Amino acid sequence: MKRLFVFAIGGTGSRVLKSLSMLMAAGVKPTNSDYEIVPIIIDPHKSNEDLKRTERILFNYQAICKSIGTQNGFFSTQISTLNNLVNPNKVATSFTFDLQQVGGKKFKEYIDFNLLGESNKALADILFSGKSINKRNEEVNLLDVEMDIGFVGNPNIGSVVLNQFKDSQEFKDFASIFNDGDRVFIISSIFGGTGASGFPTILKNIRNAKSLSNIQSKGFLQDSIVGAITVLPYFNLETETEEGNKSPIQRSHFIAKTKAALSYYSENLSGNNSINALYYIADDSKGKSYKNDPGDNGQKNDAHFIEMASALAIIDFLEIPDSELQCSDGKALSPTYKEFAMKNDTDSIKFSDFDNYTESKISKRLSQLTLFHKFIKEQLNNSIEKEAWSTSQPVIDKKFINDSFYRTYVTEFLTSYNDWLEEMATNKRGFSPFNLGNNLQNLIKDKTVKTNWLGKVNFDFNFFNDMLAKKSRNINYTSPEEKFIKLFNDATEEILKEKFGF
Amino acid sequence: MKTLFSGMYDWFGTYLFYSKDMGDHLNGMDITCTDFIGTPWYMIVGFIMLILTLFIYAIQYHIYDKSRFNKKHHLWIMMFVNLLLNFLVATILASNSVKEGYCSELSLTTMDCIGFGISNAIWSFIFHFIITSITVFRRLSINCRNTTFWKP
Repeated sequence: MKRLFVFAIGGTGSRVLKSLSMLMAAGVKPTNSDYEIVPIIIDPHKSNEDLKRTERILFNYQAICKSIGTQNGFFSTQISTLNNLVNPNKVATSFTFDLQQVGGKKFKEYIDFNLLGESNKALADILFSGKSINKRNEEVNLLDVEMDIGFVGNPNIGSVVLNQFKDSQEFKDFASIFNDGDRVFIISSIFGGTGASGFPTILKNIRNAKSLSNIQSKGFLQDSIVGAITVLPYFNLETETEEGNKSPIQRSHFIAKTKAALSYYSENLSGNNSINALYYIADDSKGKSYKNDPGDNGQKNDAHFIEMASALAIIDFLEIPDSELQCSDGKALSPTYKEFAMKNDTDSIKFSDFDNYTESKISKRLSQLTLFHKFIKEQLNNSIEKEAWSTSQPVIDKKFINDSFYRTYVTEFLTSYNDWLEEMATNKRGFSPFNLGNNLQNLIKDKTVKTNWLGKVNFDFNFFNDMLAKKSRNINYTSPEEKFIKLFNDATEEILKEKFGF
Repeated sequence: MKTLFSGMYDWFGTYLFYSKDMGDHLNGMDITCTDFIGTPWYMIVGFIMLILTLFIYAIQYHIYDKSRFNKKHHLWIMMFVNLLLNFLVATILASNSVKEGYCSELSLTTMDCIGFGISNAIWSFIFHFIITSITVFRRLSINCRNTTFWKP
């Protein structure tokens, strides 16, 4: 199977990757192409909550696929770690690229500032002048930035530190398993530090692969099909940190940084045809402000619609045929640049606000997964060991729901999915296609349940149970786990068709 | 069929719930007391019992066939309804046949009619029990395919 290596850089990278996981869990996938996804998260800020949440989600997703395979509608895209592919027997694997020498280290220590000559010290002082903040929210010189909280909006630091990527074991592993037909996608934001610097650095190393020593598959890599999304400012920030200090990260700086980075990109990325498909996305909505916490506590931002739309760029990228994304000598022959657009400009987006393609791509699948979660949350305990679909072989019984597959992987994943939906719904601009707290009949906004010939709406959990029983009849499942996921996929699909006309 | 039903009711019914005379009457003893050439009530009631039981089974398992009516206690409800209907059918038919006249050598009472009703009800229960225990039939149901007395 062909692979897509997704480099998710910085906090935005992790959040977009989270959205991608949710879409893939729902069964959203490119038409006519099947890719194994290999996420590689690059973020020096290890305690970043967004990163930790994404890692947990990916871990659960992977565990589910490991147990049931990828032929069941939900969770139908294989996700692997780079480590898994290089060494399939390795148990402990991570989705995160292990940046060396950033933990507990100041930037000046990383560049051995004290060992530099006077003239080089003066040059470094100029290049890295200015102020930033440490993890205790104290103002410090840029050279004294502690890098384990990220690059705090300073791409000039990021571009130095992330350049170690080309010499890392991860990059060598990535290059060694990269095959003809595989693709690369890079997710980054343009208005911060890590993403803005990481994107050009990684792209440069891929396109210059031939000149790197100790790298296999150089040719494939240099002429690989590379797509990227660069996320322009899309959220607001509180101007002060929790302690009342003025944060070095300000929304007012976002635009200036974006302009500077775009100017650099126009010369060094799009300008020299380094990239096959580049997606731009932004939102000028003056929405909810996020807590400004650059320190060790956090960066736990609510999920945002822009992140989901960015994840859709990856699906779109995989749908572009190889023939339209050819490269020669590391240059894209016909680069393409895209933006995301919608039918209606609204603060609370529903499925009908999308254009037809996007709506058809995600509305049914997300509705299916939401129905699945609603049943699990509100009805499963009442149906287990009572309904025919549960008591038929292989049995879905109380033992099943106490096993780690359900109790840990599925439950945790679907709880994260619900959080993701709720966070997007309350964010500004919001994405709220569902009435999550409402009954089944009113679950999907913009969609009316079909009535029967008596004019009555017959759609409740009993109907859901009936459909589960109907769909499970005469099907040979290989395991209760496979049955659980496949059955709910098939039943929710039929319910949406029958009741909502999907 | 006549022999089958006669044997069935005679084996579990006659002496136990009603008299031998009632058994002879239901077996078709004609009004002139010549032979068993009268109306074969055993066979008629037996057929009705079978059809009624099958119909009530089908209502739950195949016609309605919904998850809201597939639990064990729902099966008990249907069994009870079946039992009651079969009791009434047998009692009423036996009582009417007695009223229409019977062999003068026989001695029949109302309690015999009720006894036959009880016997028929028990047979309907047994028959219902057997049908719902046969997996092949049950498997044709969507929501009640595991509804049986044998499973919790």
